[in-house]
Amino acid sequence: MTTSVAPHVSRTKTVATQGKPGLSRKQREGWAAALFLAPDVIGLTVFVGIPMILSFVLSLFQVSGFGQYDFVGFGNYQRIFADPVFMSSLRTTLIYVFVLVPGGFVVSLLLALLVKQKLPGVGFFRTAYFLPFSISIVVVALIWRFMLDEQVGVVNQFLGWFGIPPQAWLGNPNLALGTAIAVTIWVQMGYYMVILLGGLQDIPLEYYEAARIDGASAWSNFRHITWPLLKPTSFFVLLTSTVAALTGAFDMIYVLTKGGPANSTNVLIFYIYQQAFQYGEYGYAAAIGTFLVVIMLICSTAIFLTTRGGRFSYGD
Amino acid sequence: MATETLVRTRRKMRPATVAQFVVAVLVAIFALFPLLWLFTGGFKTQTEASTGAFWPAHPTLDNFVFIFTQVPFLRYMLNSFFVSAIVTVVALLFHSMAAYALARLRFRGRDTVFVLVFSTLLVTAPVILIPLFVIVRELHMLNNYAGLIVPALFNAFGIFLLRQYYITIPKELEEAAIVDGCGHWRVYWHLILPLSRPILASLTVFFFLANWNAFIWPLIVIADDKLFTVQVGLQLLQDQVTVGGGANWSYLLAGSTLTALPTMIMFFILQRRLVESIKTSGLKS
Amino acid sequence: MATGISRRSLLKAGATAVGAAAVGATALAGCGKSAATSSEPLQFWNFYTPNPLRTPTSIAQGGWFDTYIADWNKKNKQQVQAVFIPNYTNTNKLQTAFAAGSGPDIFLISPGDFLRYLNGGVLMDLTPFMTKEAIADYLPGALDTRMADGKVYALPMEQEPLAIYYSEKVFEQAHLSEADLPKTWEDLLELAKKLQTPSRYGMVFEPVQGYYQNFTWYPWMWQGGGDAVGPNGQSVFDSKAAIQALQLFQDGVNRGVSPRTPVAAGDLPAGLDKGQAAMWQSGIWNVSDFRLRLPKTKYGIFRLPTPPGGRYATIAGGWAFCANKNGRNPEAAAKFCVEAVGSMSPDSVKRVADWCTVAKSDISPRKSALDLGTARGGYSSPVMKKFKDDIYPGTRGEPRYPPVIYKAISDAIQNTMLAGHKAADEAEIAAASIDAYLKSYEGAKIL
Repeated sequence: MTTSVAPHVSRTKTVATQGKPGLSRKQREGWAAALFLAPDVIGLTVFVGIPMILSFVLSLFQVSGFGQYDFVGFGNYQRIFADPVFMSSLRTTLIYVFVLVPGGFVVSLLLALLVKQKLPGVGFFRTAYFLPFSISIVVVALIWRFMLDEQVGVVNQFLGWFGIPPQAWLGNPNLALGTAIAVTIWVQMGYYMVILLGGLQDIPLEYYEAARIDGASAWSNFRHITWPLLKPTSFFVLLTSTVAALTGAFDMIYVLTKGGPANSTNVLIFYIYQQAFQYGEYGYAAAIGTFLVVIMLICSTAIFLTTRGGRFSYGD
Repeated sequence: MATETLVRTRRKMRPATVAQFVVAVLVAIFALFPLLWLFTGGFKTQTEASTGAFWPAHPTLDNFVFIFTQVPFLRYMLNSFFVSAIVTVVALLFHSMAAYALARLRFRGRDTVFVLVFSTLLVTAPVILIPLFVIVRELHMLNNYAGLIVPALFNAFGIFLLRQYYITIPKELEEAAIVDGCGHWRVYWHLILPLSRPILASLTVFFFLANWNAFIWPLIVIADDKLFTVQVGLQLLQDQVTVGGGANWSYLLAGSTLTALPTMIMFFILQRRLVESIKTSGLKS
Repeated sequence: MATGISRRSLLKAGATAVGAAAVGATALAGCGKSAATSSEPLQFWNFYTPNPLRTPTSIAQGGWFDTYIADWNKKNKQQVQAVFIPNYTNTNKLQTAFAAGSGPDIFLISPGDFLRYLNGGVLMDLTPFMTKEAIADYLPGALDTRMADGKVYALPMEQEPLAIYYSEKVFEQAHLSEADLPKTWEDLLELAKKLQTPSRYGMVFEPVQGYYQNFTWYPWMWQGGGDAVGPNGQSVFDSKAAIQALQLFQDGVNRGVSPRTPVAAGDLPAGLDKGQAAMWQSGIWNVSDFRLRLPKTKYGIFRLPTPPGGRYATIAGGWAFCANKNGRNPEAAAKFCVEAVGSMSPDSVKRVADWCTVAKSDISPRKSALDLGTARGGYSSPVMKKFKDDIYPGTRGEPRYPPVIYKAISDAIQNTMLAGHKAADEAEIAAASIDAYLKSYEGAKIL
């Protein structure tokens, strides 16, 4: 299925020239927009916006026990920067994001380039790579905890054939974060592969034909055609996977390592959870949470301003 | 499946293609082996399940029999199916409506609304869990289907993706319709929705997966075991590992297999259309 | 169609959010508790019944609760309804509910969580509903960690002491007998080395970070006379006793005889049966597990060995009934807890004995119930007899450290055991954070 609208419609972007729209039409459009937006805007306000605001309000209080609120202003925020565990957790988060996002992207792009080829059984491969994404994180963690078992795990048995001694993948602080990242890549690789594949298939074949006549190498093809034309898709993947790494890491860490061993996988989002639900420090947890949301807001605002409102356009 | 295609390949493969094929096979093993391990795990005896071997020495169906007879697992699966299906359909309707307004209609404050909507993507569950619980309680949605469904409907990701897609639809079509005197609803319903079938198909898969696999919220909002979803059912099986009564790893593996199967089958059926259709057209100029 | 986002609209979005925050502040203040009527049944959150998962164990344990609840509902106007919470220990459902002001009326609590709920002001004082005789019936130390200022706030239903399990098969293969059971820490590690093979761990200490790991570690610290909090409420953690206990776990891992990750996915009976471990520190609850699942597997138990100059000590945890002070009908909830496991009525005594010897394999926290259980033959098997007569004397109840103290110790254990840090440094760091916390601590005495 192609996504072109109708063959006879020219695909050139025209800034629609619409004479002078009457006032009534403008009003009508405004009303229509309000009605179309209402369900989602109300829902997002009630179930995301208001909880976030309440959470910010909560961050101004010292909460002790269940229901004792003492107003402390920005005291919780001052506490953040004096908290050594927060700092180490921030470091862990940065490592996690800066390894997972590019690493996952490269893996997915390579896979997308691979299954774009006319290989025998390519449909099967595409399906196979996507399947890990279709199972729940709880099940993923269960499988991998067994497979990574130090004594009887399949991974160590496999490495044993190459003479590599058994490792405690999830019990060694030097390995655990890398292991969590690898498992996350295993889950996500097919998902981003599918999106990148869509982007690759959108690149007109004529470009490659012309390059073939010029006798260009595969690498130069990639550099001069694929990469520049894939930019919007790549950008979209990097953006969504960064947001996912910062926010979605929680589930994976929660079920796979619980932040251990020795806090080596304690990413910020998990630390927030720990402060709230293990120590009962709801106010402080809310402060860290708000801080995290503000940081991400600043980042995404910067992205917005540079890409003109998330409109991914070629060349700048 | 792969071997059949191999047999049917008539042309000789170039060395480069052979190399690529070998790589593809290795990656497929890496992707599928853990899933195969899970499926064989369901047939192990309880004591064998904790040993991590690949093949069960004495394959048994007991675990699956147990799951369906001693745990109302089928009911949990139906609950999950019901919730995921409702959320998917309703969310797609709401999101495409909102995306249509943000992409095709001109009104004051449009960009402000879009920025606010997008910023909700950055808010995560652990940060708002307690306030959310309070709100859901005040709306009397604790411990019923509404509590599972309603908060799960609203997610900016779908709006964002659909808006990207709708921006690329040429203006002329709409103009023609509007000149013909169609209202905005008819334009949306008869023109925009049919055009966005492919993207809706892929979003259907993603939404369904996300809701079928959700586990933290259902656990908190539901107390009545008639309303348990499959993921809560898995927690139940896992529970026996922590609370005396021994580690029922074999039950958990069987339950996990049953939990993973529907989504895998669904993807299998839809995969061709999905891969064909997930052109992120909204990302094109 | 230009879709650029202007700076102005970003500013507008920001302004909208700030305005909403002001509204939110007033909304939070308006979040009251819904007044509950006493005509509704009391909610009893637990993880035993009505359990949709039906195994012999869950049927036996759930049945014990069902029988009592049905009995109570027959005799009392105020009805009680059981609510089953899966993964009670690991999810935050209970806390979320209490934090949102809608906790259950009756619930089960472990010592590790006790102070959070007590200092949070949600536990009902059960003393007025108990007789002096009943309070005196509790074995020494069994009730201390559930009391504050001489008042009882939770009633334990069981005690679960720790010992070391070993595989008799492995011992026989190594030509060892009961006489060779280790008495000192050094003996323990040397024996572990002897029994270690590429596919078998000599001695399993709990490696996974959490309340349970701390629980298994405390007795090693106590044996050298150490503690986390001293009698005057100051930190005494930075001591030789704590350092050598941290060192013990580290030595186990460094000598390669203790695992870094769970053995046999934490399934002790399967692990010993399959020969994946020779010795394993764990609790009395495995006895009923072996009996049900692997009755043919031969295993033995022995006391935790002691360090040079140390005294034998072990630890016992266990769940306890408690009532929500702010619930629907707190008096009735308190009476329900007391009648369940804390009254001198024959029914109540029999209930505790049933729970500890029929539904589970535990040491009863009450003398009368222990005597009754013994008279009925609940402690006649060699293993249970040994637990009761040899392991249990010398038991101290699981401490009720607040989360910050738990976490400081937990980090010390993790960092020495798995990250290879120096035990002395970690003890010092943990002591400093415990001290900082205790300076501002207000609440019940930390035991």
